[in-house]
Amino acid sequence: MGQALAGLAAFGMLAAGGVVGGALPAAQAADPATKVIRVGTTQAVDSMNPFLAVRLVTGSIHRWMYGFLTVPDSKTLQPSADLAESWTTSPDGLTWTFKIRAAKWSDGQPITAADAAWTFTKIMTDDGAKTGNGPAVENFASVTANGQDLTIKLKTPQASMLDNPVPILPKHVWEKVGDIAKYEADAYPAVTSGPYVAVEHKKDQYVKLQANPNYWRGRPKIDELQVIFYDNPAAAIVGLKKGDIDLIGRLSPPDFEALKGDENIVQWNTQGRRATYLQINHGATTSDDKPIGDGHPALKDQRVRQALHYAIDKQKLVDEVQNGLAVPADGSIVPPMYKDFFWQADGDQKVSYDVARANKILDDAGYKKGADGIRIMPDGSRKLQFRFSIHTDTPIEDKLAEYLTGWLKELGITLTTKRLDSSKFTEETGTTALFDIAISGWSVNPDPEEVLATHLCSRRPTASGEGGGTESFYCDPQYEQLYLQQLKELDRSKRADLIKQMEQRLYTDAPVIALYYPNDLEGYRKDRIASITPIPEEKGLLYGGSGYWPFYTIEAVSADGADGSAEDGGSNTGVIVGVAAGVVVLAAAGFFVARRRKGVADERE
Amino acid sequence: MTVAQSATKAIDAVEERPARHGLVRYAAAKAGGALLSIAMVIVATFFLFRLLPGDPVRALAQGRNMTPEQLDLERRRLGLDRSLPEQFVHFVNQTVQFDLGTSYEYKRPVLDLIGERIGSTLLLTGTALVMAVSLGIWQGARAGWKPGSRFDRFSTAISLVLWSVPTFWLGLLLLMVFAAGIGPIPGLFPTRGIESVDAPDGFAYVLDVAKHMVLPCLTMVAVVYAQYLLVMRSSVLDEVGQDYVTTARAKGLRDDEIRRKHAVPNALLPTVTLVFMRIGFIVGGAVTVEAIFSWPGLGQLFYEAIRVPDFTLMQGTFLLITVSVILMNTLADVVYHVLDPRVRSA
Repeated sequence: MGQALAGLAAFGMLAAGGVVGGALPAAQAADPATKVIRVGTTQAVDSMNPFLAVRLVTGSIHRWMYGFLTVPDSKTLQPSADLAESWTTSPDGLTWTFKIRAAKWSDGQPITAADAAWTFTKIMTDDGAKTGNGPAVENFASVTANGQDLTIKLKTPQASMLDNPVPILPKHVWEKVGDIAKYEADAYPAVTSGPYVAVEHKKDQYVKLQANPNYWRGRPKIDELQVIFYDNPAAAIVGLKKGDIDLIGRLSPPDFEALKGDENIVQWNTQGRRATYLQINHGATTSDDKPIGDGHPALKDQRVRQALHYAIDKQKLVDEVQNGLAVPADGSIVPPMYKDFFWQADGDQKVSYDVARANKILDDAGYKKGADGIRIMPDGSRKLQFRFSIHTDTPIEDKLAEYLTGWLKELGITLTTKRLDSSKFTEETGTTALFDIAISGWSVNPDPEEVLATHLCSRRPTASGEGGGTESFYCDPQYEQLYLQQLKELDRSKRADLIKQMEQRLYTDAPVIALYYPNDLEGYRKDRIASITPIPEEKGLLYGGSGYWPFYTIEAVSADGADGSAEDGGSNTGVIVGVAAGVVVLAAAGFFVARRRKGVADERE
Repeated sequence: MTVAQSATKAIDAVEERPARHGLVRYAAAKAGGALLSIAMVIVATFFLFRLLPGDPVRALAQGRNMTPEQLDLERRRLGLDRSLPEQFVHFVNQTVQFDLGTSYEYKRPVLDLIGERIGSTLLLTGTALVMAVSLGIWQGARAGWKPGSRFDRFSTAISLVLWSVPTFWLGLLLLMVFAAGIGPIPGLFPTRGIESVDAPDGFAYVLDVAKHMVLPCLTMVAVVYAQYLLVMRSSVLDEVGQDYVTTARAKGLRDDEIRRKHAVPNALLPTVTLVFMRIGFIVGGAVTVEAIFSWPGLGQLFYEAIRVPDFTLMQGTFLLITVSVILMNTLADVVYHVLDPRVRSA
């Protein structure tokens, strides 16, 4: 009985928490005039140290905190001035000189080229600093500073120099750090050069950023930006509906649709930065050209891959798998959002859903149907039975597998689904090549160099099985040639042409088959956010885009209007219900105490 | 000292202070057994996790451009370039010095990572355990005393229904109803975390945390209290027909009193064992409940560690859980020994 009482007491305390909590709605910042915007995320911050951070959420936070050499323009997404106000390139494309803006760090110290030189050199010389952005300086031969002039010498020409992802850090703060690899960057307020200054970070909970009054473009229009972590999307949706957060990005179609009908929430649905595609094991090899894995031999035949492409109804996938919230892919790995680099097939080249044509291609190529209706290799050695590798616990991929299985059946090809947990999946589809067809996808940056490089010969695993980051085991002389050409081409439109030819090559040779470009799905509260400019400004992203535009330009609904009747009403009801619950619990506790007393009294008689 | 001598000495000692000496010896034997178990766990831990599929370096590099040289570098940094026996010796060496190594993913000492999160997990699971045990024992005792009564049927049925409900489903339901609010029910409780982002100070902070604890605690209690209820119910049921109960009745004691003062203390023994075993598991936390309510505890850390796979972090957390379970089991044995004279004489 004593324990029961203890339990009740605990319950009572919790209920009391409910009462008091109800009386203090949303625990707003003490000063009601402070304009706070709260961004929800389902990814926890890995490290506040930009040398170590790799997650998207941390990348975004660092974008809001630190200046970069350049930033994608808010309208065109072309590189534009950020901490570097201007730049020149030597005729051979090997020497880049940047003029660093005469601005101030948030602690008032001047920003110089020495800060940038120190940051790049640190990554180049300290292995412990390579985790976050090591590849970004791989091609750097030397970096030197002279006043506001920063000179970077490259080993080979690199057109993507102006999409450098390294945040520039203040030398006068960071050079005092001993072991970078162990540094948590937990000195607050942080010293930054971007629109915001991080002032607090509670692990797995939240990061608080405040407006940087010294920001060279001018102080942001809100006072505080909070990044609040949710462990699962369903809870985050509840949080947005309730008003515990004001914005959340990167939603899945079902979560996005759960926001429907809420008059305070804007459903943000625009073209996204991602492409979803099939990766085909077209005869995987290692970087020394030895075969690896157990891919089906039929998939080495471009005609078979082409037939698969014709058998896929992309519009149907968009409608049924993505709830209509995607664009069918008539291109390759670069989504249409990046207008300058996007390539789309047309005319004869365009592959549209056509089962008859797919069957004809296979018939003509000599893949005859057996007695059981399943096609056989021309030499009769094997049936056309493929495996489709997907991730475990992903309903979207499961649904996709169902449709593909159905369509391939019409071609006389058997497809069986193979579900793998994510690390095994990465290994089998990226290193050991133990797959036939696999689901894949990539989020593309304003400069597509990174995703293009995932299909290079050099990205294939080494003979000893060291993975190199290939997305297709592709190794094609034509593609390699084009890649090298675009790397040297500093004329943007000429370079775009070369990149489009690379996409075209991927489309026709089909080591990967693009299925659709998922939309960017987000939601925000219009009773809290007065305006926010996406990137690009026309139909762009809010969270997860490149640069800091959306969260620099974000405006809060003025405080007096925002904390109006709605929240008050909620808190009153909250108090009433809370008090009622408290009373019930206390009454119950009282009842048991009384009974116990009575029992004691009985014994004394 | 010969065996005979020591035996005689032991007998002498037993004659002098029988109970305590027996207990010390018993406890020492149990502690020795526990140490042996822990040693075996350390060995098993290392090899068990090496069997998991997936290359941590590849997984950490996923979605990023990394050259084979950089992957090599990463491998050397993590010590994965050394042979398995070498890695094993290094691991055992570290572990016996209470160094759990450095996490692959977070690049920080595992002990620090655990230390940062264990407090909030203990707060949540500890409170939930106390509440579930109290509720289970109380209802179980009453239900077992009058089996088949309306109270028995009602409480047992409810507890079993809650026991069979998936935790994730129940948690989300509570979240949607009591955190977001539906219809006339207002959103009373926060949707995430252990504290508000702009948490107040002092006593108001305690209340803020308490408010955040309501729903996760409720979910955990609802799902697990049935096991205490059932164990308690069945052991009380065993006592109901005992002679001493009949005697007590014959003495004219009130029914309530017989239950509370005679039957329940006897029936508590199996429940005590169960409770101690559960205490061992509370460090493991409740991965699911923490995930639903974004509770910043060990659950999230475990989950991440397995996903990568982050060997050192997995080893560390796994060791923590198994060692606490072993220690608590040992303690349960000893406590049982103290509580129940029948075990001692046997």
